[in-house]
Amino acid sequence: MTEVAVLGVGMHPFGKFEDKSVTDLCRSAVTAALADAGVSWREVEAVAAASSRFSGGKGWGLNGNDVVEDMGSTGIPVYNLSAGCSAGGNAFNIGCTLVASGLHDVVLVVGGEKMPKGFIQTSGVEEATDPEFLRQRCVGVSGPAFWGMLCRRRMEDFGTTEEHLAKIAVKAHANSVHNPYARFRKPFSMEQVLTSPMVCFPLRLYEICPVSDGAAAAVLCSARFARQKTTKPVWVASSAVATARFDDGITRHVAAASPTGPTLHSEAKIAVEKAFERAGLGPRDMSLVELQDNTVYYELAFPEEWGLCAPGEAERLVERGETGPTGRLPINPSGGFQSFGEATTAMGVFQVAELTWQLRGEAGGRQVPQAKAGLGQTIGLGGNATAVVLKR
Amino acid sequence: MTERIPVIEGLFTEGPEGPRLLGSRCVTCATPYFPKSLACHNPSCTEGRMEDAAFGPRGVLFSSAVQNYPPPPPAKYDEPYRPYAVGMVDLAEGLRVLGRIDTPDPSALRGGTPVELSVGHLYRDTEGRDVVTWQFRPC
Ligand SMILES: [Zn+2]
Repeated sequence: MTEVAVLGVGMHPFGKFEDKSVTDLCRSAVTAALADAGVSWREVEAVAAASSRFSGGKGWGLNGNDVVEDMGSTGIPVYNLSAGCSAGGNAFNIGCTLVASGLHDVVLVVGGEKMPKGFIQTSGVEEATDPEFLRQRCVGVSGPAFWGMLCRRRMEDFGTTEEHLAKIAVKAHANSVHNPYARFRKPFSMEQVLTSPMVCFPLRLYEICPVSDGAAAAVLCSARFARQKTTKPVWVASSAVATARFDDGITRHVAAASPTGPTLHSEAKIAVEKAFERAGLGPRDMSLVELQDNTVYYELAFPEEWGLCAPGEAERLVERGETGPTGRLPINPSGGFQSFGEATTAMGVFQVAELTWQLRGEAGGRQVPQAKAGLGQTIGLGGNATAVVLKR
Repeated sequence: MTERIPVIEGLFTEGPEGPRLLGSRCVTCATPYFPKSLACHNPSCTEGRMEDAAFGPRGVLFSSAVQNYPPPPPAKYDEPYRPYAVGMVDLAEGLRVLGRIDTPDPSALRGGTPVELSVGHLYRDTEGRDVVTWQFRPC
């Protein structure tokens, strides 16, 4: 197995772009990533792409094929990965594997999405055998209601307050001011967050992420190739993919067979623990974390579930501002999903771009001082999750 | 009288003993399933022979939230929209089930509250029928 480097990254700013297709957004991200890597399109040997549920891909999730046709059909292999909101992370994992195996020297990873307006509609079919359809039709539990239930339980177990939740949103937007790719680049006050409309009690509008259009790309290459291009590459310390365990206590359909209680988000926990193990690094070695903050609740639950802090400690870190870029455990210095909005399948690659900029010291006003290693994580429909550790 | 129809056939019953969820249980490892499952999904299960089982009515609320805004399709609701509580309920049979919580004060619900299964109004369909679903109410 050869070592894998992230040679270049690129992003299209996030927002709503009525006049652009998802392939337009991807072209912008890919072109930026190639330029950043100092690599021409003709040098790319394979593409691993996130499959979109909402846009392009000829309706079959063939978004990687769209990108190749758009950039110039060179006959290279394309891998389209479908994994809900984890698709970008899955594509990154496959891209790494293609390089690590020695099969290819230069691989492009890309994820882009144009989201329909409003809240994400998870079920695509009206069939009684589709668990997502049953969940939505028979009960009517939206994504935010689902997060709300988990958050409410945490509030009862750990005394989490509305102020804790709001403070996380305020931190996210304070970071986004320094990120030119973010959709919302302005500071939010505690009052603004705490008076925003209740979406699903206990979660308010500014405590969940909106949906956005956006794209991100990364050029991965072998150690041999990287050394020809740069003296300071960012390395992939590890990349891991996992799915949920049977004994997970979250009702992913209308019921969970094994409510064992504390085992929640098992797919994310498995992916992150595998990534730490493969990297030979632990929670304490992470200079920063880019985690999937669809809701501020995840910034409290995930760090504990992955051993980054003790159970119940997350609120204390938030109170003391320790999750800011200069704190003890910087979380989402990019501004996170809260500030970008979720372009679902792009997000795993979006995280890789931010981690890369941070590790190179190119993150400007949101820079984590002396960042040496960082963790990225996604979680998606179907019990999918991914984790990546990048290091200098 | 208004015709009353279940949101989906075969998911619950309203027998003389009260409402029950219709699922199945693995004879081999005792894992409960709702809705019915043709196979046992427990990776530690050796055989996975399934039998029909009915669940409820007793349970304990694990947690709840309020659907303050109208949910996206394929959810259905009456106009004008009225917020409702949803919760995860741990049934005595070892099953954690999602359901609406029938309560006048959704934001006052707390985890650990004993609840019981009931069947209640979900929406009125285009033919004016009362479409009902399973739900829970504090008891
Ligand atoms: Zn079994």
